[in-house]
Amino acid sequence: MVGEEYRRWEGDMEALYVYTAGVAGDRFFREIRDNERLMGTYCPECDVTYLPPRLYCETCFSELNEWEEIPNKGRVDAITVAYVDDKGERLARPKVLAMVRFLGANGGLIHVVDLPEEDVYRGMEVEVVYLPRGLRKGSFLDILHFKAI
Amino acid sequence: MVGIGYEGFPRETPHYSFKELTFEAALKAYEDAGVDPRKDVDSFVVCEEDYWAGWSISDEGAPDQLGGVLRPLHTVSGDGLNGVANAFMQIKTGYFDVVVVEAHSKASDILTYEGILTFAFDPLFYRLLNAHPHFLAGLEMDAFLEDHENTEEDCAEVVRKNRENARHHEAASFGGQTSVQEVMDSEVLFRPLKAAEISPLADGSIVLVLASAEKARELTDQPIWIRGIGWSSDSPWLETRSLAEARYARWAADQAYRMAGLERPRRRVHVAEVDDRFAYKELQHLEALGLAGGNRAGALLREGFYEMKGDLPANPSGGSLGVGNLLEASGLFRVMEIVRQLRGQAGEHQVEGATLGVAQSWRGIPTATGGVAVLEA
Ligand SMILES: [Zn+2]
Repeated sequence: MVGEEYRRWEGDMEALYVYTAGVAGDRFFREIRDNERLMGTYCPECDVTYLPPRLYCETCFSELNEWEEIPNKGRVDAITVAYVDDKGERLARPKVLAMVRFLGANGGLIHVVDLPEEDVYRGMEVEVVYLPRGLRKGSFLDILHFKAI
Repeated sequence: MVGIGYEGFPRETPHYSFKELTFEAALKAYEDAGVDPRKDVDSFVVCEEDYWAGWSISDEGAPDQLGGVLRPLHTVSGDGLNGVANAFMQIKTGYFDVVVVEAHSKASDILTYEGILTFAFDPLFYRLLNAHPHFLAGLEMDAFLEDHENTEEDCAEVVRKNRENARHHEAASFGGQTSVQEVMDSEVLFRPLKAAEISPLADGSIVLVLASAEKARELTDQPIWIRGIGWSSDSPWLETRSLAEARYARWAADQAYRMAGLERPRRRVHVAEVDDRFAYKELQHLEALGLAGGNRAGALLREGFYEMKGDLPANPSGGSLGVGNLLEASGLFRVMEIVRQLRGQAGEHQVEGATLGVAQSWRGIPTATGGVAVLEA
């Protein structure tokens, strides 16, 4: 058997979906598109504001109906630099990604930081940059990146 | 635990279908346990995930290669250690005497591994970043090194140790001598994570046979006992889970240790097999399992505590870094390895005199799910 080619066929499992943003996600993306602002849901029981927002509290399981605006400025909490793309191919320009935490919010956002990797450090202040109004579609990618303040 | 069997763990298995791979492992496990699946096994638990199989509702394809046609069978869409927990609970009901657990990896059949991991991210958020899914491991490692008393060199040391241990495992595909410097010099892919710190994929199937205490004593004079088992998931939201700490593993360990009545595990456990799919994960998991005296896994590693000849050998098998990433079979591999150690059947990587061991699983990027089992001879 050794040296023979074993039978194997290439195939795929293509499937298409629509992904429902839900009550909390819908408002979150709408606020980004229309008002360039981050909104979170507030849990009075736990006194925390969730970013990204959700309809229920993961700590006490209350339904959340109160919304709070979250400042557009945050601080870098963790950093990675991807030197390869989504398929593992070397990137011409490395992608700096950071977890950014916002004052008053439980959670944060991960996104690209538009700076050379050596200029990004833990604790640095960054600001959310949105796509220009006419280009925004109410998606996560309406957030273009974080930039230094 | 009355029977173990595996088929593996090469980089690829072009001659076997995943069903045949499982059949070969099952034959060995049933021989080891002295059971006939068509007569003696009351229930089967299979751990798999459709996307790894490239086959939807793939669990429907599970019964025949295990001898489980027209028998109770259920699938756990998760790691094999969760399957052990399910089998354990079935036996505890008193309605099942012998339960079989199976998990496998046919990673060599997957042409777009990164794509499947990317599909595991929230489709409305981070799937859209168009980034390689291992970016999350880079972020976690960065958070872990910032918050805990460990260094990049400590992570490189994990690779050196596990690849060295794997030289003594009869079925490991990635054993070898690697220096810390070589790991540090390997390509940085997701800073601070380096290429040599990412476990390579391998193929294999693992089958374990569990039995009630009474039945186990009937089947073997060397049963291995599950003293405690636990599992948990941290928040699925990357923003509210802990990046620095493996809280899922801490919670699972608390449950397993409580059930086992195990206190001060670092002093009492003789051998541990923990998830090391990325090198930093081994240190993070040892700390979460209370096997590192707080956040001191790196320091203990440097002192030789986790070496083959140390006080608490960690991943004497070589782990995923040395043996290969076995996808959903990764946790089941670790349970099997602890059983071998406690039976004194681990061959060249035997830890002398081991009678109490811990196995721990993690479901891989981007999950925060894991399980822990405490096993005793
Ligand atoms: Zn709450």
